Amino acid sequence: MDTFASYHPAALLGYFMAVLLPAMFSANPALHLLVLLGGLAFWALLVPGRTFAGDLAFYTLLSLMIAVTNPLFSHNGVTPLFFLNGNPVTLEAVWYGVDMAVMLVAVLYWCKCFHRVMSDDKLLFLLAGTASSLSLLISSAIRFVPELKERIARVHQAQKAMGLYSSGSYVDRLLGGLRVFSAVLSWSLECAVETGQAMKGRGYGLKGRSHYALFRLRPRDGWFAAVTLCMAAAVVTVMARGALTHDFYPKMTGLSAAPEALLGYAAYGVLAALPFLLEAAGRCRWHLLLRRCARQDTGGEPGKDGVRWTY
Amino acid sequence: MDVLELEHVSFAYPGGQQALEDISLQIRQGEFLVVCGQSGCGKTTLLKMLKPELTPHGQRQGVIRFAGQPLEALPPRVSAGEIGFVGQNPNTQTLTHKVWHELAFGLESLGCPSDVMRRQVAETASFFGMQTWFRREVKELSGGQKQLLQLASVLVMRPRVLILDEPTAQLGPIAASEFLASVYKLNRELGLTVILTEHRLEEVFPMADRVLMLDHGRKLLLEAPAEAGRRLRSTAPDHPMLAALPSAVRIYQELDTADVCPLTVKEGKEFLSRHFLPYGEPEAPAQSITDERPVILEAKEAWFRYQRDLPDVLRGVSLQVRQGEIFAILGGNGSGKTTLLHLLAGPREPYRGKVLVEGQKTRSFAKGSLYRRRLALLPQDPQTVFLKKTVREDLREITRLMGTPESELEAMAEKLGIHGLLDRHPYDLSGGEQQKAALAKVLLLQPRILLLDEPTKGIDPGAKEQLARILLELQQEGLTTVLVTHDVEFAALSASRCALFFDGEVVSQDAPAAFFAQNHFYTTAASRMARHLYPQAVTCHQVSQLCRSHPKKREEATA
Amino acid sequence: MKKDILAVCFVVLLIAVLLGGTEIQSVEEYYRTHAEEITPQSETVRISIRCDTILDNWDDLTPALQSEEFVPQDGVILPETELVLHEGDTVFDVLERAVRSNRIQMEYQGADENSFGSVYVQGIHYLYEFSCGPLSGWMYRVNGEFPNYGCSKYVLADGDVVEWVYTCDLGKDVGGGWLGGRQ
Repeated sequence: MDTFASYHPAALLGYFMAVLLPAMFSANPALHLLVLLGGLAFWALLVPGRTFAGDLAFYTLLSLMIAVTNPLFSHNGVTPLFFLNGNPVTLEAVWYGVDMAVMLVAVLYWCKCFHRVMSDDKLLFLLAGTASSLSLLISSAIRFVPELKERIARVHQAQKAMGLYSSGSYVDRLLGGLRVFSAVLSWSLECAVETGQAMKGRGYGLKGRSHYALFRLRPRDGWFAAVTLCMAAAVVTVMARGALTHDFYPKMTGLSAAPEALLGYAAYGVLAALPFLLEAAGRCRWHLLLRRCARQDTGGEPGKDGVRWTY
Repeated sequence: MDVLELEHVSFAYPGGQQALEDISLQIRQGEFLVVCGQSGCGKTTLLKMLKPELTPHGQRQGVIRFAGQPLEALPPRVSAGEIGFVGQNPNTQTLTHKVWHELAFGLESLGCPSDVMRRQVAETASFFGMQTWFRREVKELSGGQKQLLQLASVLVMRPRVLILDEPTAQLGPIAASEFLASVYKLNRELGLTVILTEHRLEEVFPMADRVLMLDHGRKLLLEAPAEAGRRLRSTAPDHPMLAALPSAVRIYQELDTADVCPLTVKEGKEFLSRHFLPYGEPEAPAQSITDERPVILEAKEAWFRYQRDLPDVLRGVSLQVRQGEIFAILGGNGSGKTTLLHLLAGPREPYRGKVLVEGQKTRSFAKGSLYRRRLALLPQDPQTVFLKKTVREDLREITRLMGTPESELEAMAEKLGIHGLLDRHPYDLSGGEQQKAALAKVLLLQPRILLLDEPTKGIDPGAKEQLARILLELQQEGLTTVLVTHDVEFAALSASRCALFFDGEVVSQDAPAAFFAQNHFYTTAASRMARHLYPQAVTCHQVSQLCRSHPKKREEATA
Repeated sequence: MKKDILAVCFVVLLIAVLLGGTEIQSVEEYYRTHAEEITPQSETVRISIRCDTILDNWDDLTPALQSEEFVPQDGVILPETELVLHEGDTVFDVLERAVRSNRIQMEYQGADENSFGSVYVQGIHYLYEFSCGPLSGWMYRVNGEFPNYGCSKYVLADGDVVEWVYTCDLGKDVGGGWLGGRQ
């Protein structure tokens, strides 16, 4: 089930920017925490539980290390805990480290989500809208690299089975590798000529190239974009009015609990949780459907077994 | 109505090499034209001249018209869209990495509006049954699927003519049949004009409306297939092209009957029944003559898988190859034949069981010594064997390695008939020539055991027969050969023992006559055609010989 | 892969800690160690720390620092104080003793951590370089002159007067002005 991933690529790209940029340009730990929780919750739906747990352990350790490292290098802050080699280790620096870690881990998790949600199809689709030849170039490069690797492996295997270039010193092997590589390169160039002809044969280079729309804008994309936009606008406005500023050094300002700030947090919370909510809602709807169908199946015609409803 | 019209077309490459001479030809709308001829007869050149984007550089004479308009005057948009071309190698023709994008590419070039493009892509993908792999990556597809995708991505532009240049050269027999069936379907159901060149004529010959046979750039004949078969017998009874014709036509060629030339196995069967008497050979007692020759290569209960959590590719393979044999292992694509060969050749090892070369485990040979005067493997793709700029340099590398004199190189070149190719770049050679040059390189290692992986892939029937001859000659000199192939005809021609490889195991092995006689599907076309009369005959030659000695009396035949 | 990243981070951390040495003191300990009586025999210097210039550039100051807590209204962080001078004491040694005995926060870069080969004072009393505009930072004066080298290289003599001043304009606003090193 990919409820979230099935939105239009442009809407998705907009969303990812809307959710990451405010967190990255603000030093407010509440925003960082919200974005981390949103990312974590969504990621938890995307991967199996065991993978998620393993990942989480890794990132927890990583963030601990960042949190510990920061106060060793930054000695600003009004609350010294103890002195290390004559330099103060301060409470502020520790919190700042924690915040940095939260922020970093959040960005990493969102990158994972981005990678999972934005398949190369979607990225190329977006690119084709703006730079179609670049998008084509990337597309053929994606094809070319594994092909080159495979060719090298094949030539290498052939040479090995003749007892060439596989034994002897490192220098021999290196030279052999170079030879294989250059042979494969000229082989690939040979193939590239054919590919070029095939491109021409299918009309590449004619004026007025269009591109195939693998994705269509649907009403739900509009709704999604509207919600994203509203929430992002609210957060940015609140931020711009200075209601969400926060400082660690030299002395931590407490998190503001003014109504305006709370509004900002709420908007950002909704924004960050959006993928999770959409994905979870999609799954719930799915389960309900299944249950209803199961009821109809058993209640309706008990004689016929098998699946009447196919999805 | 004529779609394409050629008037006295000649073509010479810049070097002065004459590729085509005075070809005149009209191709009707909806016609299925098969162009055949040996490698280098100019058939690819002819096809490329029909597609302006691919026309090679050189001197052209004569006029080519597409729908009444000279090709030069054709707007690029029309020639890109209305003349579809599919080449040999699906890998080099693939332009993007996704199936959907590949399909859409041509329409994108033409600047098709989005909704039109959607419809045409959807329609084409449905016609070819691509729904399930529409969003897949091209590299995940099988060879047959890739080539089908090429066909579809040309057809999506709705061409009026479809030109196919040896489209099945890189495919296994099953995929090739499927591909050709799709082309035939297009021709029958859409009335699409098809021009096709092909090495394997067995299947396309009966599909064709007309056959154009080229010989050294000249038109040898242009006839309906049955007529072509009859005419070829009378005009050029020793023409090397005969080897390429379908088995039914070849058997017909060798017999002297005044009947219509049969094209398919079915027609051939009827033809034989009409004219010849069965010959119930005394059932040869199961060949239990013990082979006295020593076992030179042996696999004992060998199990293999590529990774720990992947399924087994080989499940307890046991086989013995005796000195001086030509041992053919037959099997479908992806059955693990190549893996088995790699196991026998040493680069891979079984995780259970063992492989013995001359009674010694492959692992126990000192580095490289396995490949010196002992065992050599010729891989599937002969291109992978060459690393230098000329064939001679590549061969010299081996003579230097082996410490043999240069005269050895010359002798080998002479033996394999590649003397004229020594100073050419390996990549410039045709498939068959490349195969021979690669074989020369491998043979210079003076192996006692030669392993061949799919040696007939992409080479024409003439080259195939030549290769079989070379292998038999080498056998005389005491070389043991193991080859894996899906080419039943080639195995029947060359092997002294055949084995069927299926589901990770060697299922049956026997002498070719017995092996193919017992097989019902997996056997040569000649055997399928004549088994009701001569159950032991496997090759066309054997069938025709038996026919000659068992003719029906004239009155019986006419009755 | 992930384990490797963690391992590398851990090793780097360990090396950083080991190279830096590990002397851990509690806050009380740290501030207690330095209180020395001035006797008539002892040589002395006088030291002061001021940040008046910030008062004129208040708008450039980082918002978090715009408070009397960090910038005293008169700009005086440490009024002129007399300290015992030991043999071979540098400007930095004296500064360190002064801030320690007065519980003033200070952060510096050790002589081995920068290219000057001298200790570089990054911040005093939470006021750091660049805290008040891109040209801001700490400088020192000895007897009214700006010496052109590092504070841990300048050896003081009896009766010297050391002034640490915060500049918002590369020293021009405090009567110095030497592009390059501020200390």
